[in-house]
Amino acid sequence: MNSRRAIAALGLLATALLALPFAGLLWSTPWLTLHYADGDIKALWVSIGYTLIALLIVVALGTPLAWWLARHRFRGKWAVDALVLLPLLSPPLAMGLLLAISYGPYGWVGHPLRAAGLMLTNTPSAFVLAQVYASAPYYIISARAAFEGVPRELEQIGLSLGRSPWQVFWRVTAPLSALGLSAGIALAWVRALGEFGVVLIVAYFPQGIPVKLWVNLQNVGLDAVYPLLWTFFAIALPLPLVLGLASRRQTVY
Amino acid sequence: MQVLCRMHSPLQLDAELQLDGFTALLGTSGSGKTSLLKAIAGLLPSAGQPWNGLPPQRRPVGYLPQGYALFPHLMAWQNVAFGLNGPRRERRHRAVQRLQWLGLAALAERYPRQLSGGQQQRVALARAMAREPELLLLDEPTSALDAVTRDELLTELIDLIRAAGVPALTATHDPHAAALADSVALLHDGRIIQQGTPAEVFTQPVSFAAARLAGIRNLYTAQVLMRDEWEVTLSCGGLQFKAKAPVWLGTQLQVGVAIRAEAVALAGDPPTNSFDAAVVAVRSEGLQHRVTLEAGGTRIEALLSASAAMPCVGDVLNWTVSPAHVHLLSVDDAVIDRDAARLVRPPAISATYVAAHS
Repeated sequence: MNSRRAIAALGLLATALLALPFAGLLWSTPWLTLHYADGDIKALWVSIGYTLIALLIVVALGTPLAWWLARHRFRGKWAVDALVLLPLLSPPLAMGLLLAISYGPYGWVGHPLRAAGLMLTNTPSAFVLAQVYASAPYYIISARAAFEGVPRELEQIGLSLGRSPWQVFWRVTAPLSALGLSAGIALAWVRALGEFGVVLIVAYFPQGIPVKLWVNLQNVGLDAVYPLLWTFFAIALPLPLVLGLASRRQTVY
Repeated sequence: MQVLCRMHSPLQLDAELQLDGFTALLGTSGSGKTSLLKAIAGLLPSAGQPWNGLPPQRRPVGYLPQGYALFPHLMAWQNVAFGLNGPRRERRHRAVQRLQWLGLAALAERYPRQLSGGQQQRVALARAMAREPELLLLDEPTSALDAVTRDELLTELIDLIRAAGVPALTATHDPHAAALADSVALLHDGRIIQQGTPAEVFTQPVSFAAARLAGIRNLYTAQVLMRDEWEVTLSCGGLQFKAKAPVWLGTQLQVGVAIRAEAVALAGDPPTNSFDAAVVAVRSEGLQHRVTLEAGGTRIEALLSASAAMPCVGDVLNWTVSPAHVHLLSVDDAVIDRDAARLVRPPAISATYVAAHS
């Protein structure tokens, strides 16, 4: 009984610690004089729109890779594993610099792309590119674990019942890994939306909420941070919450 | 239907099977039964006939793995309809019809977790049969069930499959289950070493390995002492047995001997093949007593009906084996010696020995 109370107390302590900065925010927000700074609304739409595009790219490219890593054994798999982890463990500033080196106007990829009309510095494309690099590893790792949790045998049965591998993926693998895939999407959404370091280097413009927060702090002061920060929470939280609830409702089997 | 299957990995298999009616594939665990079934279904790379090289989705094969592998996110009828094409209404109708055939129509809306083991098995069978396969593969269909329902469900399963008229191959490690089939194939060392009716395979195994798979534990090498046209006299570990002379018996001096425990009985009148042996251990197995005997250094196992008096450990009694039940094996000497060295060892005496003794 005592140990149960001790664990409950520790849990309460952890919750209090996590809540502390947000309680401070609630306390120090100047509720009566709250108003957006110039360009805040634009930053809001930049964040929502481009993060959704980045998320689509991450899911479209990350899902096949995650499935491949979950279902196949091959020589040098460790190298692919390491490559997936590298953007995750690079300091955001360094990752931004690496992107600038390669995709920048004089980079070995950026130069020919610029000639082809795709500029990957301070453009919407650059913004999305930075978000993709920042969030893809989170999605790939979650999705891979989700696919590994689907019994191989169920996929084999699907095949032996006359379905193509593609149909089996949609009718067996995807529904059974929905929980993990949703978690991965939610994680990638939050990471992409909140990414500051990588985005700052390759796409100072267009300004999404994280960069705009920094700009407001520099140009106006702390009071200009609060409204945008509350807005950020309001748009960042719903997707993870909804995906989490929806998939948890499915876990009855 | 003739099925050939050859594979190299994950293990070496080269199997040839004649599949008509309900065939049991009998082998020890780890002998490759599951791999053989998966290879026939196209789920493991192999060469063979028919369907050589076809991917699993193009083979007209219904596969029921161990534990049935129903899709947990689909209701019973959706599981059955998984392999069906057409509009949803029609698929549903056909699936429910299949379930009806198995007496499960009332459970169509249930998820697998809401079904008992036997119901899950029938849903899996309905699912495998829905596409009207040319061959049904079942992997240990009763292993997930408790002992009480096992025999009942297996008999029911066999009747259903016979009624459907689809040839079936069922992997099992249980000779009792295999005995219910139309045909038994023995898998050993990656090959089918014998296939025939249960009566043939269980009474006339072709080798020690086959005898062991058929559940025969009294296996010996014996010297031929005398022979005439009808009968041979054998010396078998200090005991003498008469056996019917098989047609193939030439001038060999050494043969293999296999005697089912059920054939060893207390001697009546007249005592043919009788011998005195001491009771070393007695174990009650429900309707039978499994008795371990020893005579002249040779151990023999006997199964007695439980309605007879249970012999006591230490008793020296007179026993007999009918010559018709002394089965002779003509295997080349090397095989006899190699297997005999491994096999003719006293059966393990377990805790029941102490219990019976005290």
